[in-house]
Amino acid sequence: MAEQRPKKQNKWFVKKGEAGGIDIVFLILVLCLLGFGLVMVASSSYVAALHKYGDSYHYISRQLIFAVVGLVVMLLVTVFDYHQLRRFSLALLIVSVILLVLVLIPGIGIKVNGARRWLGFGSFRFQPSEIAKLAIILVFASYMAANYKRMKEFKVGILLPAAVLLLVCGLVAVETHVSGAILIFCVGAVLIFVGGASLKWFLGIGATGVVALAGFAILTPYAKGRITTWLNPFADPTGDGFQTIQSLYAIGSGGLLGLGLGQSRQKYLYIPEPQNDYIFSIVCEELGFIGAMMVIVLFVLLIWRGFVIAYHARDKFGSLLVVGIISRVAVQAILNIAVVTNSIPPTGISLPFFSYGGTALLMLLFEMGIVLAVSRYSRLETNE
Amino acid sequence: MGKGPSRSIVIRSTVMLAIFAVILLIGLAAVLVNYQIVNYSFYQTKAISQQTMDTTLAANRGTIYSRNYTELAVSAQVETVYIAPNSIPDDEATCRLIASGLSAILGVDEEEVYAKTQKSNYYEIVKRRIESDLADQVRAFVDENDLAGIHLVNDTKRYYPYNSLACHILGFTGTDNVGLDGIEAVYNEYLQGTSGKLITAKNAVGTELPIEYETYVEAENGKNVVLTIDETVQYYLEKHLQEARIEQQCLEGAAGIVMNVKTGEILAMASLPNYDPNQYYTITDEMVLQSLSTLTGEELETETTNYRNKIWRNKCTVDTYMPGSTFKIVTLSMALEEGLISLGNTYSCPGYIRVADRIIRCWKSGGHGHQTLAQAIQNSCNPAFIEIGASVGTDKFYQYFQNFGLTEKTGVDLSGESSGIWFSTFNEVELATASFGQNFKITPLQMITAVAAACNGGELVTPHVVKEITETQPDKSQKVVKSFETTKRRQIISQETSELVCSLLEQVVSVGSGKNAYVKGYRVAGKTGTSEKIDDYVATGIKNYISSFIGFAPADDPEYAILVLLDTPSAGEIYGGIIAAPVAGDILSDILPYLGVQPQYTEEELATLDIAITSYLDQPIEEATAALIDKEIKYVVKGSGDTVTAQMPEAGTTMPQSGTMILYTGEASPTKDITVPNLVDYSVAGATNRIKQSGLNVRVVGNENAGSDALVISQSPAAGEVVAEGTVITIRTNSSEGVSSM
Repeated sequence: MAEQRPKKQNKWFVKKGEAGGIDIVFLILVLCLLGFGLVMVASSSYVAALHKYGDSYHYISRQLIFAVVGLVVMLLVTVFDYHQLRRFSLALLIVSVILLVLVLIPGIGIKVNGARRWLGFGSFRFQPSEIAKLAIILVFASYMAANYKRMKEFKVGILLPAAVLLLVCGLVAVETHVSGAILIFCVGAVLIFVGGASLKWFLGIGATGVVALAGFAILTPYAKGRITTWLNPFADPTGDGFQTIQSLYAIGSGGLLGLGLGQSRQKYLYIPEPQNDYIFSIVCEELGFIGAMMVIVLFVLLIWRGFVIAYHARDKFGSLLVVGIISRVAVQAILNIAVVTNSIPPTGISLPFFSYGGTALLMLLFEMGIVLAVSRYSRLETNE
Repeated sequence: MGKGPSRSIVIRSTVMLAIFAVILLIGLAAVLVNYQIVNYSFYQTKAISQQTMDTTLAANRGTIYSRNYTELAVSAQVETVYIAPNSIPDDEATCRLIASGLSAILGVDEEEVYAKTQKSNYYEIVKRRIESDLADQVRAFVDENDLAGIHLVNDTKRYYPYNSLACHILGFTGTDNVGLDGIEAVYNEYLQGTSGKLITAKNAVGTELPIEYETYVEAENGKNVVLTIDETVQYYLEKHLQEARIEQQCLEGAAGIVMNVKTGEILAMASLPNYDPNQYYTITDEMVLQSLSTLTGEELETETTNYRNKIWRNKCTVDTYMPGSTFKIVTLSMALEEGLISLGNTYSCPGYIRVADRIIRCWKSGGHGHQTLAQAIQNSCNPAFIEIGASVGTDKFYQYFQNFGLTEKTGVDLSGESSGIWFSTFNEVELATASFGQNFKITPLQMITAVAAACNGGELVTPHVVKEITETQPDKSQKVVKSFETTKRRQIISQETSELVCSLLEQVVSVGSGKNAYVKGYRVAGKTGTSEKIDDYVATGIKNYISSFIGFAPADDPEYAILVLLDTPSAGEIYGGIIAAPVAGDILSDILPYLGVQPQYTEEELATLDIAITSYLDQPIEEATAALIDKEIKYVVKGSGDTVTAQMPEAGTTMPQSGTMILYTGEASPTKDITVPNLVDYSVAGATNRIKQSGLNVRVVGNENAGSDALVISQSPAAGEVVAEGTVITIRTNSSEGVSSM
């Protein structure tokens, strides 16, 4: 009995001697972004919170709780051996596909603002697409690490992953959660590419995908409307273009140095829910170009450090896992900033670490925990 | 499974890292540079314009002063109540409470207020321009019930303390404080000032932000306008005109002007019917209201609109008329100046004159017979003036007509001035009628301006009603920023001609058709006029007239000209000499002493002057009687006491030299027991007898040179009133001999 226990422990937890400490640089970058994000949630939300709930701290207090819980979860995750995640990957994918189907059924899925994206009971709600995101990363990392040698084959490297990816993306898109579908698609595509798919096929399929996407944009009225708004938000300044225009006013009026932290004027009910998707425009307005670039540089550093961890991961699964997670953060940040600056058609996508949202933050920090867990097995450190 | 990622994974990961970094650090950074640095000012301007709220700070409108710095139009701070329906909670009870509360305080319709609360905007005016006491009540109501969405903003309101006095000169302002008529409109630019601005930050819902972001641009108050109008002269002009208008039942109103002939300053200008600029939309004129009272329905509406336009019209500058015989002053001036006639000329009037193929009749059907030039003027003989006009000739006549400023606007600083109507062709016949002021039209102001030129030494001046523009200094003193000097336009006739015109016209008043305009102690000159309203006759077949008198004083050195115009008198008399000249006389006798023109009495006049009565109360009877004897005042004593206990007439009044003073002593006191007899239509002598027999005193007012047939036309107090013994009864005589001229 006494011998069994440590053995069982060894299976789930990080074994002593095998792994080193977590990557401090990455941890610091995560904490910087999280801290920055919390400050901005506090600043951007207090007017809206006061207006809607009569309590300036309504949003920030909730976000803080999730941040603290999320940090605990993140650090806890590093205690576990990430290899065990391979066991759950396929199950998680199946569960998320089931949930994605369930959410479409009226009466089960909860409809908010015309989109049926949520599952839950009582006050607890979550988006199955959030789980699907992680499931795709886990499944792909696991699958590609296992089938590494056959990845150049069309069937193994392209066909199967693409089929899974399209199934999941299709289900998410049907919820009219276009941004979620795009994000999952991009992360999947990055993993297929990094995982070793034949370049010829990858680019061929990619080109086909772009054409398909263009067709989708032209054919569906929903997407078409978004594109019209994107091309000329000033055509309907009080309707469809309102949010975009208000965002641009905020960004532009920030100038080089900004109006000062807490001094945003656009958060005074001009930008709807400034603590959510458009929080970056408040950063631009309050902290100017300098502040906005600080955010961007922090993200770039995080991505860089993430990839450094991936390079030095002990195995391909760990490496691809980190690439997937970091790509998810990178793509999401890029899409969000692009939307906020009207560089791409508007779609609802949040800014990691910054946008208000408890479960999303929890998931993000959980994923950061996985990256830190992988960092413990860095070859760099073991070599030293 | 090899250790660590493969070379391919590392390379492809690096590619991805590069792609992400490039998109973020170059692509999106470039986008931000574009918005935040390149196009910064564009977005900043747009953002600020939506984030800020401009509150206009109303500038105080300047004051309009009379020439004596009496305030004729002032602005006061008031408040306007408005509601923001969108800020009012959406429940029935609150909206009802607001409606009933505001309706009770402000006297507005409750349902109307309720309807406004149901709208979905932020600005619905409940009542404009309320005084501070009402505003305080509204504030109390809001506090008491803790209501949202009821607001008060500062505003200004225009007040005209003298109501209708000089209304056509002052004009009025509209709801937006912009002058719509008169000086208010013409000098609006000076009066209105520049409004200030308070820029505050606002949120998307329109309420203010807690950000210290406020810019304050102070309002620049309007400048003040000082008129040439003298409120006292204006008052007398309006008073006498109104009395005459009612007495003579002038259906189309009356007009009058008093002008300084040397400077062109208008001292008074009145047009009746008039209005109260405090409530310019309301008809307040009694005569108008009376004629409207018989109407109903659509007719009432149409006529109300008609009359509203009439009360706003300044007859002196906007309406044109045929000046009639008053124009003979101009014909006389040009003929004298051209040397075509002289005092030695004689004229023969058989009652008509033949001009081309037409026969033009004199107003006196039997004719004036043989007359000198002076007599022709006194008689206002038409054939004589047709002859004079003919000697001038059409070209010269029109040239003088132009020189007298009668073909163009006078340039007075009032709005809506007309410039008159001249003949389409001007030949022999037209010249004949024009010579006595018929068949062309000019404005009363043009006419008095021309006469001013004829009597002031021959110079045409521009009439004006504004003397200067001032700025109120912080210490409340007035600093003149602009003065309006006399504008002399041209010399039309020589000084000598002008003097001759003056003396000839003085005779019109002293012995001729204008004798009812005579004022004791003053040398008044002038000319009467009665013109047919030919347009009316053509249109309706009814002969209507305009009776007028135009004059000036003192005749030896004219300072003030006066014009009195009665439009469509319908109480019987129509002749200017009978009904317009006495009005001018009354006005002049009130205003000349006020204006500081020293009276110069003749011996005869001195004998008829009134005595000022001082108080003898409480004096010993011997002392009082001694004083009266000393002053050559006749007296009687009633009662047997030692001291004077009462006197008639009372101290501070005046009594003719012929009057008898009654002193009461002891128990005796004046009792009102004498009924005033009717004196109207008696001869002056007869009336005087009746008054004296009743134990009353008599004062005769009117031309001393009135003929023996002069009758009493009015009396004060009226017949039937009960008065005390010794009361002075004023009777007005009117000369009817030689004044019934056209």
